[in-house]
Amino acid sequence: MSLAMPSSAGPSAAQILVEALNSLRMLGRRSLLALLGIVMGSCSVVALLNIGGNAAAQSIAIFRNLGSDTLVLQLPPQPTGRDGLPLRLSVEALGRQTPAVASLSPVMTYGAPAIFNGRVGNANIIGADPALFEAARLNIASGRSLSEFDRKEAYAVIGASLAQALSLPDDPLQPGDQLRLQSYQFRVVGILQEGAPGMLLPFNANETLFIPMEGMTRINPVPQISHVVARANSAEEVIQAGEQLRQTLAQRIAGDAPVTLIFAQQILEGMQQQTRTFTYLLAALGVVSLIGGGVGVMNVMLMNVSERRREIGVRLALGARRRDIRNLFLVEAVALTSVGALLGAVLGMAGGWGYAQLSGWAFFLAPGALPLGIGSTVLVGLFFGLHPAIAASRLQPVEALRDE
Amino acid sequence: MDAGSGIGMLENNNEEQLIQLQHIGKHYRLADKTLHILGDVCLRIARGESCAILGSSGSGKSTLLNVLGLLDLPDTGNYRLNGIDVAQASPDQLAALRNQLIGFVFQSFNLLPRLSALDNVALPLTYRGIAPRQAREQAHAMLVRVGLGERSEHRPASLSGGQRQRVAIARALVGKPALILADEPTGNLDASTAQEIMALLIELNREQGVTLIVVTHDPLIANCLARRVEVHQGLLREAGAA
Repeated sequence: MSLAMPSSAGPSAAQILVEALNSLRMLGRRSLLALLGIVMGSCSVVALLNIGGNAAAQSIAIFRNLGSDTLVLQLPPQPTGRDGLPLRLSVEALGRQTPAVASLSPVMTYGAPAIFNGRVGNANIIGADPALFEAARLNIASGRSLSEFDRKEAYAVIGASLAQALSLPDDPLQPGDQLRLQSYQFRVVGILQEGAPGMLLPFNANETLFIPMEGMTRINPVPQISHVVARANSAEEVIQAGEQLRQTLAQRIAGDAPVTLIFAQQILEGMQQQTRTFTYLLAALGVVSLIGGGVGVMNVMLMNVSERRREIGVRLALGARRRDIRNLFLVEAVALTSVGALLGAVLGMAGGWGYAQLSGWAFFLAPGALPLGIGSTVLVGLFFGLHPAIAASRLQPVEALRDE
Repeated sequence: MDAGSGIGMLENNNEEQLIQLQHIGKHYRLADKTLHILGDVCLRIARGESCAILGSSGSGKSTLLNVLGLLDLPDTGNYRLNGIDVAQASPDQLAALRNQLIGFVFQSFNLLPRLSALDNVALPLTYRGIAPRQAREQAHAMLVRVGLGERSEHRPASLSGGQRQRVAIARALVGKPALILADEPTGNLDASTAQEIMALLIELNREQGVTLIVVTHDPLIANCLARRVEVHQGLLREAGAA
């Protein structure tokens, strides 16, 4: 080539932006409609992420109240002691060896029909030490709990749902009534408060009949200890208490079948992961509506491009490069979605707040909600704006200038 | 390539012929037929010349103008603009050549309706990376030059046809091009306004030495210019004084 080719620089970013905003204003109602779609998309992403975050926090808070200091040890099946006999555990001896544990109780499980005045209920029967009521935070609604003095007695404490199932309106089950389990009569000394079914405990207290561990042999000839339920001195000592208990138990059980430790923290983590999945699901729903908005933006931008063919031709004739034309329309699309993202974020936060108010949750700003909501909206604008912008930049000057 | 070479190109170039067309051909394929729009066009236009391209509609004169204005590339032949072989240029380089060497004046003015007269005139400068304030100053000076200094903030819609074409001429000139390409510049104007616009273009050609090419079908307009060529069925021939 005999001569150097000239080169030209494009307009500044500020110029492009001012032009884009002016152009959007001129598009008027049509850009408002596309804006509406984007606002709804952005709003739903932000609101759903925030609602998901608040819901997670709420459920974790509820779970914390249930006791993050509770721990459960699952023993191997048919545990045998070092003496070769079925495992027996002394609560006092275990307590001495586990200083971080506040209270503990072995648990034996059995299932048998409970009969009250001819009415049969399927009872989950738990044989335990009186300390179970403290260790598992079981509260008495009427009557009393089992005590140290009841060990040899055929006494029972009944869960709220089971008691209700055995009651009739004119013949309610009350403390002092007799229940028949197989061939034995048990006297109900107390009825438990209805509680949330614990996620941690190996039984649902509402459906359970609690009897002294020593009385288990009356209905089950070979009772076995399946779990140990314990409560640590404090939530901070849970892991320490669990380790102490596990080691102590492992020493007493023949064989090396493992003792599994379950504590609230583990389940909390599991739940957090679950709610995270839930939040992602909600966010995905938001993204779907966002894509709907993005298609609206693409639609408006395509119309915009085809209406401004001539202008594109003129700009090309005046020396605009392809990338200048592309930027012209891309910046318009992104400016449109950015405005929509901000409006949607404000609306979404308001929606999240309203939802929290309605549900009686504590409202807080979920950390990811705003950046994720606004960021994904702008990305959608970029993605759906790219096609019309590139289509515009590929127009040949002659074609663009030709009159239709 | 460095950015400075583009700006200084006009001064550094001693090429006497601004435009050299050699055996330019252009055809379109329509279905399975090939339409020859331009056959074998050779044309030289010297720097500072004024030239009319005459021809009836469908003669190929618009295609010739598009080729001259780098809006369309020829299929065959060689086109050197200001000594530069156009076929070698990338799309970006073509854009830069249009921006720096050529000013377009269209029949239908082609002002951007959303921009003020001033911003319309400043537009080519923004594609050179000139700062807005400076671009507007130069644009205003050019509007004053075409007699529209008072109307710089008006939108095209509030200007008359003649005023719009003056704005378009100011826009074509603001980048100090070597060549003005005018496509039927008076086609949408009444007779007296047309005369004024032609007078303005010729005055600019004489005073500033800018090369002027006017495409027209009107012999009266063509007669205002020093040289006339006629396109007929894709071929070019010199036309004498009418």
